Amino acid sequence: MSGRVIVITSGKGGVGKTTASANIGVALASTGVSVALVDMDIGLRNLDILMGLENRVVYNLVDVVEERCKLRQALVKDKKLPNLSLLPAAQTRDKSAVNAEQMKTLCNELKSMYDFVLVDSPAGIEQGFQNAVAGADEAIVITTPEMSAVRDADRIIGLLEARKDEIKEYRLVLNRYRPTMVANNDMMSVDDVLEILSVKLLGVVPEDEDIIISTNKGEPISGTDNIRAGLAYRNIARRIRGEDVPIMDLESKNSTWINKIVSFFNPTVRV
Amino acid sequence: MSKIAIISQPEQGVLIDVGGCSTLKEALEHLSSTLQSSNQFWKGNKVILGIGSIEITVAQAAQVLALAKGVGVFPEEVYSKNEKTRAAFLENSVKVTSTLPMSLPKVKVDIPATGIPFAEADAEGQKVAVQLDVTMIEMEHDTVEDTPLPVVAAEVNKDGSTVVLPQVLYVKQTLRSGQVVSHKGDLVIVGDVNPGAEIMAEGDITVWGSLRGIAHAGIGGNTEAEIRALNLQPIQIRIAHAIARAPDRPRITYANGTGPEIARIVEGKIRIQKNKID
Repeated sequence: MSGRVIVITSGKGGVGKTTASANIGVALASTGVSVALVDMDIGLRNLDILMGLENRVVYNLVDVVEERCKLRQALVKDKKLPNLSLLPAAQTRDKSAVNAEQMKTLCNELKSMYDFVLVDSPAGIEQGFQNAVAGADEAIVITTPEMSAVRDADRIIGLLEARKDEIKEYRLVLNRYRPTMVANNDMMSVDDVLEILSVKLLGVVPEDEDIIISTNKGEPISGTDNIRAGLAYRNIARRIRGEDVPIMDLESKNSTWINKIVSFFNPTVRV
Repeated sequence: MSKIAIISQPEQGVLIDVGGCSTLKEALEHLSSTLQSSNQFWKGNKVILGIGSIEITVAQAAQVLALAKGVGVFPEEVYSKNEKTRAAFLENSVKVTSTLPMSLPKVKVDIPATGIPFAEADAEGQKVAVQLDVTMIEMEHDTVEDTPLPVVAAEVNKDGSTVVLPQVLYVKQTLRSGQVVSHKGDLVIVGDVNPGAEIMAEGDITVWGSLRGIAHAGIGGNTEAEIRALNLQPIQIRIAHAIARAPDRPRITYANGTGPEIARIVEGKIRIQKNKID
C-alpha cells in the first residue's frame, strides 16, 4: 500500500493548522480510509490534546526517530475510530531533534501502513517547517481572511512551489470565515483571498464557537453532525478523496436543518 | 566614433568588435570595462572577437584571451585584418578569419524625441549602431529585408566609450511574498507581484498582471524610468529616488482591478496615470 502524505501548513501561527489537522483526520477516517496524524510541532505538542488522546501518549516521534521504540508502539489509536492513529510530537525536545532525511524515512514507512498520512506542521518557515514538508506529496495551506495570514500563506506557497518536484499539489483551506463581516466589507472575501494567492481552493470553514468547545473537549467537530464547521471539514475530506463537492454556500444563514425550521416559522429569527 | 561595437545575430552568434580602438591598451580597457558591466548577454552564443587592424604579438594575444576569459567570454573565432595578429591568435589555438564573419547590418538610426542613448562604430566604412530599443528604431538590413535585428543595448559614456546594457529580463511567474527579483536593465514580470514581494530594476518595470508588492524602477537615479502594470495596487513604488506609498486606508478587497496604469516621475514626484493609447 502506498498512501498519500499531506502536510498541513500555514506559515502564520494561530490560524487553525492543528484544529484542521485533527478535523480533516477524523473526517477522512470516517469515510473508511486509514489515517495517520503526525504532529510535527516538536516542543509545542497540541494535536494529542485536540484529539483527546493526551493521556494515552507513551512514546513520541522523536523516540521513533532515535530508535528508542518501534513506530507501531508510538502510534496512538483514536478512541472512536480504529482506523485513525496519532503519532505525537515530543514535548521535551525542540525542532532540531529531527532532520529532513529522518522525516522522509518516517513518512515513507507510514505511507506503507496508511492510506493517508497528515502531517501537522509548526508555524514558521524554519527547520520545523522544512522537516514537516520533507516527506510530503501534497500540501494543504491554511489561512484566515486576514492580511497577515494571507501574506504568510503566500510566502508558504512560494516555498512549496520551489519544491514542486516533491509536492505535486497544494490547496487552500480558508478558515474562520465570517460571511456577515464579508458582507459588510470588513473582511476579505473568498474571491479576494484567491485573487492574491491564486491557488486551488479545497474548502472554506466558517468561524464557529463550537470549534473552541470541541477543542477543549478533545472531540474534533467533524465527528459531530449539524455543525457547519464540521460539515465544512467533512466536505474537505471528501474533496481530498477526489469527490466533486461544491463549496458550501456560507452567505445564507439558513443551511442547517434547525435554522431552516426556525426561519420557516419566523423568518426574522437568525440562529 | 565609438571604440567598441557589439552585434548579435541569431544563429551567427555575437560579435564583440574592438576594431575601433587604435592601440591594444585601449582595446583591452574597453573590452574589460564593457564586458564586466554587461551581465553576460552572450552566454550560450558563439562569440566572435573582432580586433580590427591592431597588430598583436603572440604574448599579447594570450593576454587578450585571458582578459576575455576573466569576464566569461570564450571567443570561438577572432576576426582581424592584420596578418600578424591572426597568426598570433592562431598560435594561441584560436580560429582566425580575415573576413568579417557576420555581415554587419547597415542601420539607419532614427532616434525618437526621448533620446535613446546609442553607440556607433565604424567597421569597414559602414555605420553600425548599437541601440537600446529595437522597436523604436528603424533599420535597413543589408542582406535580409525586413528582418529585425536583435541588438544588444548599449549606451555611450561621456568619454565616448560604450557600455553594454543588459537586455530585458523576463520573469514568467507570479512572485509571492518574500521573493525578490532585481535586474540591471528593464524588468518584465509576466504574472502577479504579490504583497511582500519586491522587484527592482535600473530601467523600467512592467508587470503583466497585478502589482501589489513593492516595485523600484530606475535604481541608480534614472528618473525617466516607469512602472506599469495591468493592475497597479502596490504597497509602495519607488522611481529613482522618489517614493510613493499606497493610501493609508486599509485594503480589504483585492478582487477588483484598477485597469492598466503607469507610474512615472512628473515634476519630481511620482504620478500615476491611466494607460492611454496615443
